[in-house]
Amino acid sequence: MSANITFSQQTFAESLKLPFPLLSDFPERKVMRSYGVLNEKTMTANRSFFLIDPQGIVRRRWLIENPTTTVVYSEPLLRDIREVMGKR
Amino acid sequence: MTAGRPSDLGNERRRRLPGRGRLLAAGLLIFAVWNSAGAEPPSVTALVKRLDLVGYRSGMNPPHFSGPTLDVRPLSLTELRGKVIVVSFWASWCAECRPEMPVLERLHREFASRGLAMIGINARENKQAVARYAAELGLTFPLVLDPGGKINQRYGVIAIPTTFVIGRDGRAVAFGVGPRDWGSPPARALIEILLAEPLPRAS
Repeated sequence: MSANITFSQQTFAESLKLPFPLLSDFPERKVMRSYGVLNEKTMTANRSFFLIDPQGIVRRRWLIENPTTTVVYSEPLLRDIREVMGKR
Repeated sequence: MTAGRPSDLGNERRRRLPGRGRLLAAGLLIFAVWNSAGAEPPSVTALVKRLDLVGYRSGMNPPHFSGPTLDVRPLSLTELRGKVIVVSFWASWCAECRPEMPVLERLHREFASRGLAMIGINARENKQAVARYAAELGLTFPLVLDPGGKINQRYGVIAIPTTFVIGRDGRAVAFGVGPRDWGSPPARALIEILLAEPLPRAS
């Protein structure tokens, strides 16, 4: 999810051949605000991940402070996803 | 990529042909269709697929943009309404853009008088670099300078070349990430079909 328009997201998704959908929170940015990750200065979302279980409960969240310099590795995320899935 | 399907041409024609001639006839018909000489022109959807482009759903309009061109003339998407527009995002350092640009120039020279607007958008390069590149390749179509990369961002362009095709009515028709053979029969047929569409009414 991002504050980009769907047109922009479509190009982005095709460029990376993303196998999952992208959602646009433009122009209201309601979801970003309600998740507490909206940067009011830039009106874009701070880089963040939320892990929601099948009951709709947020089980984990990752807030990336320096997205341009921080590399997000998939292994810790996958480990937590497996853990949450295993608790069902 | 998939080849054009002769079944699109209808069964009536094939039934009248003797069996041995069918294969040859199908080949000839595909050739004819791709050259827009066939009785039944291919659809925009079929050509978009043939060119491995991504088609837009109906009602999708491209974001507005405006910027100075290399010859210091302001250019905006709005002023191009009524034309078939090809917008190519490129850079001088982009190896895959280089063979594509002279092809776009040829299309510009051939179709501009009939209503094609070929536009190149360059992000984050200085004017001298763009001018040098244009002179080297003999480019005469408008090259918009986007020093801050705002237009790239608005269009979601993160890889170049990325090319967008816009219809006379201003709708986004299709886009492709990566190089395409824009001089190929299906690409030319796509431009021809879009040029043949009616002009939008003045609002």
